Amino acid sequence: MSKKTKLIKKTSKTFLITGLILAVLSSIALFFYTRNLLQNEVEEALYSTEARVDDALKNNKIQYSLPPVTEIREVKILKKEILKDTIIYDPSQDEMELFRELSTYKSINGKIYQITIRDLVVESQDILLAIVISNIVVFLLAFIFLFYFNTAKNLQVWSPFFKNLEQMKRFSLTTKESINLIDSDVLEFSELKTEIETLTNKVRMDYENLKQFTEDVSHEMQTPLAIIQAKIDNIINEHSINDKQFEQITSIQKDIQRLKQLNKRIGILTKIDNNQFVNVEPVNLSGFIKEKVNNYKELGFNNIIHFSNENLTVLMDALLGDILINNLVSNAIKHSNKEDKISIITNKNSLIISNVGEDALLHPEKLFQRFYRESKGNQSTGLGLAIVKKICDFYGFKVSYKFEVKQHIFSIHFS
Amino acid sequence: MKYLIAEDEIDLQQSIVTYLQRDGNICEVASDFGEASEKAAIYDYDVIILDINLVSGSGLDVLKTLKKEKKKAGVIIISANNSLTDKLEGLDLGADDYITKPFHLAELNSRVNAVLRRGKYGGDEIMEFNEIKIDTKSRTAYIEGKAMALTRKEYDLLVFFISNKGRVLSKEIIAEHLWGDDSDLLDSFDFIYVHINNLRKKMTSEGAKYIKTAYGSGYKFIED
Repeated sequence: MSKKTKLIKKTSKTFLITGLILAVLSSIALFFYTRNLLQNEVEEALYSTEARVDDALKNNKIQYSLPPVTEIREVKILKKEILKDTIIYDPSQDEMELFRELSTYKSINGKIYQITIRDLVVESQDILLAIVISNIVVFLLAFIFLFYFNTAKNLQVWSPFFKNLEQMKRFSLTTKESINLIDSDVLEFSELKTEIETLTNKVRMDYENLKQFTEDVSHEMQTPLAIIQAKIDNIINEHSINDKQFEQITSIQKDIQRLKQLNKRIGILTKIDNNQFVNVEPVNLSGFIKEKVNNYKELGFNNIIHFSNENLTVLMDALLGDILINNLVSNAIKHSNKEDKISIITNKNSLIISNVGEDALLHPEKLFQRFYRESKGNQSTGLGLAIVKKICDFYGFKVSYKFEVKQHIFSIHFS
Repeated sequence: MKYLIAEDEIDLQQSIVTYLQRDGNICEVASDFGEASEKAAIYDYDVIILDINLVSGSGLDVLKTLKKEKKKAGVIIISANNSLTDKLEGLDLGADDYITKPFHLAELNSRVNAVLRRGKYGGDEIMEFNEIKIDTKSRTAYIEGKAMALTRKEYDLLVFFISNKGRVLSKEIIAEHLWGDDSDLLDSFDFIYVHINNLRKKMTSEGAKYIKTAYGSGYKFIED
């Protein structure tokens, strides 16, 4: 789409352009109309003077020429009357002046006279100019007034629209805050408001329903899982089974564990969405990491090295802090060999964790999406990093990923 | 010992009964809120296993009644809800432990035993199995009177084994008990083999060979 213009600017612009065109057109029209009017008036005067001269000649009254205004000459030939503009030196004003000139040839008492009547057009042109200029001035003044008046009025009329637009920009599904729209006496705006409210309420309700559904499903799964789990525990104790059956039955336990993890993580995501982590306190993440590294040592992961440049303390829910560190570290463990080094660096305000990897990710932009997996091999839930992102978004931390010199690097900037 | 299992999912209830009965314990059951409240108020139990979401009421209310009646029973809450507030509420009301569905019966059993051991319910904080004696308060194990030099995990493993003596424990169950959620990081459970082997060595040197292999990949703690 083309460049976006603001509504008020757009309507003002249209107003300005229309006004300008109107001013020019009307001035042109006025110019020609007035000129025509003045010319007719001048010509009328010429004809009337001529008629009087003609009359005087007929009655044998001596007529004196009064150049340049009136000239009477006896001529031989009768010619057609001529009406034209001419420039004549006016000795009284000592300059060349534009005159309108009417020359008629009349045969009076056997003699042929050429009667020439002239009138100054100069003044009429000045009048014309004055009229056009005043027209433009009046137009401009009216225009400037109308422009400001209109803009102010427009702003006032559209104000509910703009305010509601701001509200809509701030609208978020994750906050419980309801949308507060302003009603207007303009029918369309009022309708718009009702429609937006209906729409946002519906969207919010759908979202809540979906969230509730996810929560319920994951909750309802726990009991059947518990039953399967308990039955398996009894089968391996009560019944005589062979080694092969035992192996298969106990591998089901692993799958149950996976489902359990999945449920737990869905639960965490929903709880963050529901704003259920409210105990914000200074959390010593460096301490968490130290503890984690020791725990993983017990599990045989001796490849995790923690460089603590500065103590990293962040204001957040302690449980979420634990989950954050846990998910980042276990993600690194899952995607690297036991021999390769995993390094965790903590600064005053940031955390960087990197593990060795052969190739860059195919779709790094999808990394934080739910259930996105680059490799089919490991049995991850596909939610670990989605939770990391969710926690970071929740607190406004910046999490990023890059692949450099055969290292998958995750960094979080807290602040 | 006498247990009450208040769980409205009959399959789960019966599975728990089957598992806990093996040590010669008496297991009574309650399948809804009314039955649970009634039995808890009238009879005396050593441990009550209480589901929070009973069909017709909350297990927490049963717990309140128990505490009001000043019953001595230990209470372990079972919940499908892995929420911290639920857990805290249950423990605040006087429950002794809290376990989230799904759980291993071995895990439940080990917690029942821990509750029983905590002195006030008639037991003492000593676990005994033939020549092995464990002081759970100081977290020390003795064999024939001599203290065993066990690591933290080896100690936990030994307690878990003795709590579930005579039962088959798969590597999955053991891994979950020892490492909880972190156990899903392990590609294989060879790691457990190392711990068990170390524990075995520390015991066999004193003449105890109780840890047996079952079905090739499982374990069973049993008398010779």
